Amino acid sequence: MSTPASVTWQKNPALAWREIDDETVIISPNDSVMHELNDTGSFLWKNIDGKKSAVELAELLAENYEVTPDIALSDTQALLHEMSSRKLVVTVPATGGVSP
Amino acid sequence: MNAPLATSGRGFKQQFELSIGCVPLRLQMSDAPLFDAASARYAAFTNIAEQPINIALNNVTPPESATADFGYEFEGAVLRAFSSAIRFDGVKNQYALDSLLRIFLSWKLLEHQGFLLHAATVIRDGRAYIFTGRSGAGKSTVATLSPQGSVLTDEISLLRREKGVWRAYGTPFWGEFKAAGSNSSAPVAGIFRLLQAPENRVVPLRPIAILRTLLPNVLFFSAEQESTRQLLEILSRAATEINGYNLSFRKNATFWEVLPA
Repeated sequence: MSTPASVTWQKNPALAWREIDDETVIISPNDSVMHELNDTGSFLWKNIDGKKSAVELAELLAENYEVTPDIALSDTQALLHEMSSRKLVVTVPATGGVSP
Repeated sequence: MNAPLATSGRGFKQQFELSIGCVPLRLQMSDAPLFDAASARYAAFTNIAEQPINIALNNVTPPESATADFGYEFEGAVLRAFSSAIRFDGVKNQYALDSLLRIFLSWKLLEHQGFLLHAATVIRDGRAYIFTGRSGAGKSTVATLSPQGSVLTDEISLLRREKGVWRAYGTPFWGEFKAAGSNSSAPVAGIFRLLQAPENRVVPLRPIAILRTLLPNVLFFSAEQESTRQLLEILSRAATEINGYNLSFRKNATFWEVLPA
């Protein structure tokens, strides 16, 4: 994971999503591909708001899922990396714009 | 029931009114062979109760310059839905008209809490059993194995939520059955994902699994975010409110014995 820990994340604004059965279903309108997030992924998804960094998201995860801060950060970074590779989330540069 | 109308209004020589899933439509055209084909194809779907939505086919007048609320091109035929008018242009045959009607309905049904689904629908004891799956899953087999007159469609079902109740409608969009569609509806008993197997068996599905079953089988053509968001909302609601099952079935009528009443 090469993204600096201070970078904040936001949901890709082009997506449609909904929670069902404690999971999150996300659809990309352009290609109609369906993505599913499990419980932990859904928790992170709900908290990705364009203002929080991976470190801040990991702190929330550690508080709610009884995992150590190290594991929470590692899991958060792995999930963000996965979601980023699927274009579900994007980073928010310091200037306030959204990087592609 | 309204008969097909022949008028000279608005520059069109003929128009045809139909209703699919209680969405009233009026097709206006000048092409006589296409009119005859549409009249025959949709003959069972002409009982209109409300003011229909006008659809102009192959209009010689240029379209308005405004951006369409929804547009789609299918093999040279173009659908454009403006706030004041619906246009189907480049429609050369009944097949193209049928395709644009499906595409238009898939979009229009969003405002009616509805959607089109690749599924056969069979009525039993006044309730609609929806059998879904991709081509080859067994939709037509199920329709063939069901009593005559009980099949609303063997290919594309229309589901709508009305006054808190999900109802299934027949459509004129038929598959291998090639019979006249049934323009009637019934409350939904359940959605069954077809799996051919050596023995009959039903397994209840969680809402997320029902949604997983619905999504790849829904007819939807908009790439626009708001429409997709609306569709996901409607499907999630259906997945939560309608009972869904995996149905492993043998290719004979005994599968009815394992279906929940």
